[in-house]
Amino acid sequence: MSIRVECDKLCPEWPCEQPEEFRDVWVLIEASEDSLSEASLQMLTPGRLIANKLKENLVGVLVGYNVSHLAEEIIRYGADKVIVVDNPVLITYNPRVYSDIVVRLARKYKPSVILVAATRRGREFTPNIANALRAGITADCTDFDVDENTRDVLLIRPPFAAILLAYIKTPFRRPQVGTARPNVFPVPPKDESRRGEVIYENIIVEPETKIRLVSKVKVEKKELGVEKAEIVVSGGRGLGGPEGFKLLERLAEVIGGTVGASRKAVDAGWISHERQIGQTGKSIKPILYIAVGISGAAQHMLGVREAQRIIAINIDPEAPIINQADYTVIGDYREIIPVLIDELEKIRNMKMEEAISYLKEYKALVAAQS
Amino acid sequence: MRIIVGIKWVPNTQAVRFDPETGTLIRRGVPSIVNPHDLPAIELALRLRDSAGGEVIAISMAPPPAVKGLELALGMGVDLAILVTDRVYAGADTLATSYVLSHTIRKIEREYGSVDLVIFGQETIDSSTAHIPAQVASWLEWPYIYYVREARILDNKVVRVVRELEEYIEEYELETPAVLGVAMRSLKPRHVSLSNKIRARFEKKLIIWSNNDLKLDTRCVGLKGSPTIVAKTIDMPEVPRRKEVYKPRDARDAARWIISRMLEDEKLRELLQRTLWGVKS
Ligand SMILES: Cc1cc2nc3c(=O)[nH]c(=O)nc-3n(C[C@H](O)[C@H](O)[C@H](O)COP(=O)(O)OP(=O)(O)OC[C@H]3O[C@@H](n4cnc5c(N)ncnc54)[C@H](O)[C@@H]3O)c2cc1C
Ligand SMILES: Nc1ncnc2c1ncn2[C@@H]1O[C@H](COP(=O)(O)O)[C@@H](O)[C@H]1O
Repeated sequence: MSIRVECDKLCPEWPCEQPEEFRDVWVLIEASEDSLSEASLQMLTPGRLIANKLKENLVGVLVGYNVSHLAEEIIRYGADKVIVVDNPVLITYNPRVYSDIVVRLARKYKPSVILVAATRRGREFTPNIANALRAGITADCTDFDVDENTRDVLLIRPPFAAILLAYIKTPFRRPQVGTARPNVFPVPPKDESRRGEVIYENIIVEPETKIRLVSKVKVEKKELGVEKAEIVVSGGRGLGGPEGFKLLERLAEVIGGTVGASRKAVDAGWISHERQIGQTGKSIKPILYIAVGISGAAQHMLGVREAQRIIAINIDPEAPIINQADYTVIGDYREIIPVLIDELEKIRNMKMEEAISYLKEYKALVAAQS
Repeated sequence: MRIIVGIKWVPNTQAVRFDPETGTLIRRGVPSIVNPHDLPAIELALRLRDSAGGEVIAISMAPPPAVKGLELALGMGVDLAILVTDRVYAGADTLATSYVLSHTIRKIEREYGSVDLVIFGQETIDSSTAHIPAQVASWLEWPYIYYVREARILDNKVVRVVRELEEYIEEYELETPAVLGVAMRSLKPRHVSLSNKIRARFEKKLIIWSNNDLKLDTRCVGLKGSPTIVAKTIDMPEVPRRKEVYKPRDARDAARWIISRMLEDEKLRELLQRTLWGVKS
């Protein structure tokens, strides 16, 4: 049973509502340029988990202009229902208008949970929505759970330095609002045959006069971003300077990856902040992460929890990364990387079977060392 | 022009150490600093004042030691600093913090005159929620925008900003009063000047307000005014990894070992087939 809220104990600025009045798990879905944002579809994954545990519906909320035709798509990714607000006022995004609409929907439908992807826009509008509803909000969750006795959602996030996980709840307030960074959760599998209800809400939106978009320019990115790459070759302070990244770029090029970095490398000014991996950088989910001259601090490793394999190159036989990587080789990257590039180029010209037999002595070696 | 800049006094996370014996963070003795992401916010406020005239007021809700942070802001050149501090504000989450900050801004308007801009850092290094600017804007019902790298006052009523999203650079115009979140690393903060600091001390530019001054309902502040509760904390669960370590004879040996590991690992072999050999799957 959820808590009964005693109204006289609440801040008078908060509407007094009982948690049991609220139901359904909402995921706010962003759409742009005629497609749904991958980051917001990812939020359907934890949304489904919570909805199942609460035995409530999972609802996608789609607010924008010319977006109605995308509604069914959200159902195919696992939503039970979709609420659509399709309005020409939303042709340009504006945090206040967007928040206002979601707040009005939330007052009408009273969802128990609102999940949002922490894209830049998501980070911008979600606290405004939560505040207008006088709801609790938890940023950058890495997991969610439900306390089945009280029906409180546990919003799980690493506080402060990523060594601990805090379980946060808001037993006296609904909705329970949470965000998660892109790529912390996978996009749920798509089911083309899935059907569900689409509700069109006609909300009269006042044109916003206090804030207006003057211009918008798309930034063309030459290189593949770290979020999308299958292989990320990342450098840390151990590189000793920006030249180290030149070497990593060559390796990335040969092996088919892109370059990332630790915060210390970014802080040193060797590479742009965009490439920072970790708690205050990006969370990524490559198949292979190669950490070069990175010690393996908890805040860094938080960003690569979803990496399928980690290879580390580190000069220090006691570096913490050793216990967090699949394969670590001890040595100076300045010596190892050029030879690694050379060997990769060599085996690229062989058939894979030839390459395997070329390296066959290492089978025995691994067995002997471990 | 009257500009308010919000700053937070945070533990220097760079100096926090981990105690492997107890598995906890050692916070004792960790010095606090002004949140580094607030320095570009202070810088932007000062530049706008320097070009349009007026004054900059720094505010912080924090325990008393945070006067040091406000002194730094005064040293950079802000005109007045207000520490908002009271035991009843302790334990605040971002909703309760933004409530106190918005009432502080209201009180500044009553005592000093209307406010044109409120400028915040984009996020803090200790909690990095980026909630406060949007929440303060919500309490005040003022327009707001995040990730601002440049701002300019067009006439006295409109501020034009350039801001950066993942894939777009956008320009917005906001009617003042408005709230801005300033992008991290966007502006190089000016140095603290000793003469500014001395003048501020001499002219008593630092004032302290408590709840006797703000007179807020205690149900709306501190722990009571915070919907979020930390139910428990646990150690971060470990990701299972293979943890194979190799001490090579030389670089050639190291490189070959790495490649052999990749070729024997089904996942990586399949990956290399595509990325190195260019075999379409
Ligand atoms: C709240 C908070 C948030 C943070 N967020 C992030 C974040 O998002 N991302 C992040 O990365 N960090 C973050 N940090 C910082 C983190 O704690 C570490 O300080 C940082 O990750 C260390 O970077 P590094 O591994 O490059 O440097 P170091 O820890 O200095 O490690 C350098 C490594 O290089 C090795 N090395 C040196 N020379 C060579 C060589 N020639 N060849 C091979 N190896 C060599 C050394 O043995 C060492 O292991 C955060 C910290 C806090 C408190
Ligand atoms: N207690 C506080 N007092 C004044 N300003 C604050 C406080 N907490 C946060 N801020 C401001 O809000 C910004 C975002 O903080 P946060 O939402 O906590 O990540 C910070 O960079 C500060 O400018």
